Amino acid sequence: MTTDDLSPELGTVLSLDNVPVELPLARVGSRVLAAVLDYLLLFFILLVWSVVVIALARGLGLRAGWGFGVWLLGGFALEYGYFAVQEVVFDGRTAGKRVFGLRVVARDGAAAGTAALLVRNIVRIVDLFVGVLLMALDPLSRRLGDRLAGTLVVHQRPAAHDELVVARLPPHWGAAETQLVESYLRRARELEPAARFALGRRLESWIDERAPGFLPGAPGPDPLPRLWTGFRQERG
Amino acid sequence: MDYARFVALRRPLWESFERDATAARRSRDLTYSEVEELALRYRQVLQDHAWARAHFPGTGAAQRLLRLAVLGGTVLQREDEGRFSLVRFFFSRFPAAVRTSMPWIGVAAGLFLVTALLGWAVAVYEPGVAVALLGPATVEGLEHGHLWTESLTTTLPPALTSSAIATNNMSVALTAWAGGALCGLGSLWVAMFNGFMLGAVFGVTARFSMAAELGNFVIAHGMLEITLILVCAGAGLGIGVAILRAGDLPRSVTVPRAAREALVVLLGCLPWFLLLAIVESVLSPSAELPFLWKALLGLALEICFLTPIALGAIREPAAVEGAAS
Repeated sequence: MTTDDLSPELGTVLSLDNVPVELPLARVGSRVLAAVLDYLLLFFILLVWSVVVIALARGLGLRAGWGFGVWLLGGFALEYGYFAVQEVVFDGRTAGKRVFGLRVVARDGAAAGTAALLVRNIVRIVDLFVGVLLMALDPLSRRLGDRLAGTLVVHQRPAAHDELVVARLPPHWGAAETQLVESYLRRARELEPAARFALGRRLESWIDERAPGFLPGAPGPDPLPRLWTGFRQERG
Repeated sequence: MDYARFVALRRPLWESFERDATAARRSRDLTYSEVEELALRYRQVLQDHAWARAHFPGTGAAQRLLRLAVLGGTVLQREDEGRFSLVRFFFSRFPAAVRTSMPWIGVAAGLFLVTALLGWAVAVYEPGVAVALLGPATVEGLEHGHLWTESLTTTLPPALTSSAIATNNMSVALTAWAGGALCGLGSLWVAMFNGFMLGAVFGVTARFSMAAELGNFVIAHGMLEITLILVCAGAGLGIGVAILRAGDLPRSVTVPRAAREALVVLLGCLPWFLLLAIVESVLSPSAELPFLWKALLGLALEICFLTPIALGAIREPAAVEGAAS
């Protein structure tokens, strides 16, 4: 992918063979949540570090000054290294980003380099004051560190098991119809029973009207099994 | 081709690509042929993504293919980074980066000197400043001929003072560097504030005829410490200038480039702070070590830091001439 092919409005990069890829940019909400989780973890790690140093200092009979000196250096390293080291080691991910399915990438969609990851994390001390506002205002949701490092944060989650829920469709169906059915079948189990029934019934009669005979059998008390069988049935 | 047939035909490829790309991210140890094979499948995934995006946007297949396209980009493409060598970094890359930042280091140094003079003048001519800057207890100590630095050896163990000094100085350097992101204002503030404080502290001690004692304390570590902070502030200023000054290239290219150059400067400076912290906590407060030895130590440290930078500056024009001839 080439750097200059990025459209700032859309976060689209031109990939190999000039195929445009619209990067699924992480917005301010998910990024702030990930950061809050990371800072909570960092706080917890600092607490553990303090306990470890106290225990070691007592166990080894160190003078108070030595223990405090080690604690101070370790705390400094944790404060500045927590984000940077994780992002470098885990390819643009901290624990918080992992939980929320986020990853730092270069602005051309490639894996971000070590230098870029270090830059964006050193600037974090400034971003603590201006980062949220900048992310909210920027179309690419970049904080100051991202602008300096040339990075973006994108959503990157593993495949959902029900993503490709449709195995069979009536002939000549387009994207809108396909999306409608996929959306219903994916969400049916999470819907309130009354809503699931009402929506399913409307969808069922709509399909019967446009593609008679596509759904197997006759309408039953619950439309979901018929819809599920009709669209999940593999082509013979 | 209809959607269902497209999914049925291509799904095995998508699943195998996702599995192998995820495994490749974890192992990072692929042979050339494995990379080639993965890249070939990545191109097929991209073609499928383009087709799904054009004909079936927003569908489950289009969403999965977008995710695979992003996954493939982050697994198969990485920003170009040369092999890292510690020796090459400290003797070639770091000195070159410092030389690139030299104009901005000069600006930081100039402002530091001006504000140091200002701080000195204010402290000498305005007695209230002494109490405001150092606190009443410290000023009382000065009145009785005691510098506050004496406590470094009498009340605190060297391990603690070393750690405290190192972390404080590195924080100042990091702030000076990161402050460049605010169009250079943060870097300017750090250079000017530190200049003012140093000048003022010397001014206050001069009022109590203790400037020589303070000089005796700072001479071993102070020169290089100030140099390092100014170098980091200069690197930060370089970032600020890249943000402000539009050139032929877009800022999205020039700013990250300037930031990476400045990062080299910062990383090259940080280890020196650790060394200086030991000097400042152990040698600087020592009453046994004569002023001359401390001054020679300070000078030696400064020379050690500056020599690779200066040598590179001499070698560079020679290399250019050699290449030209």
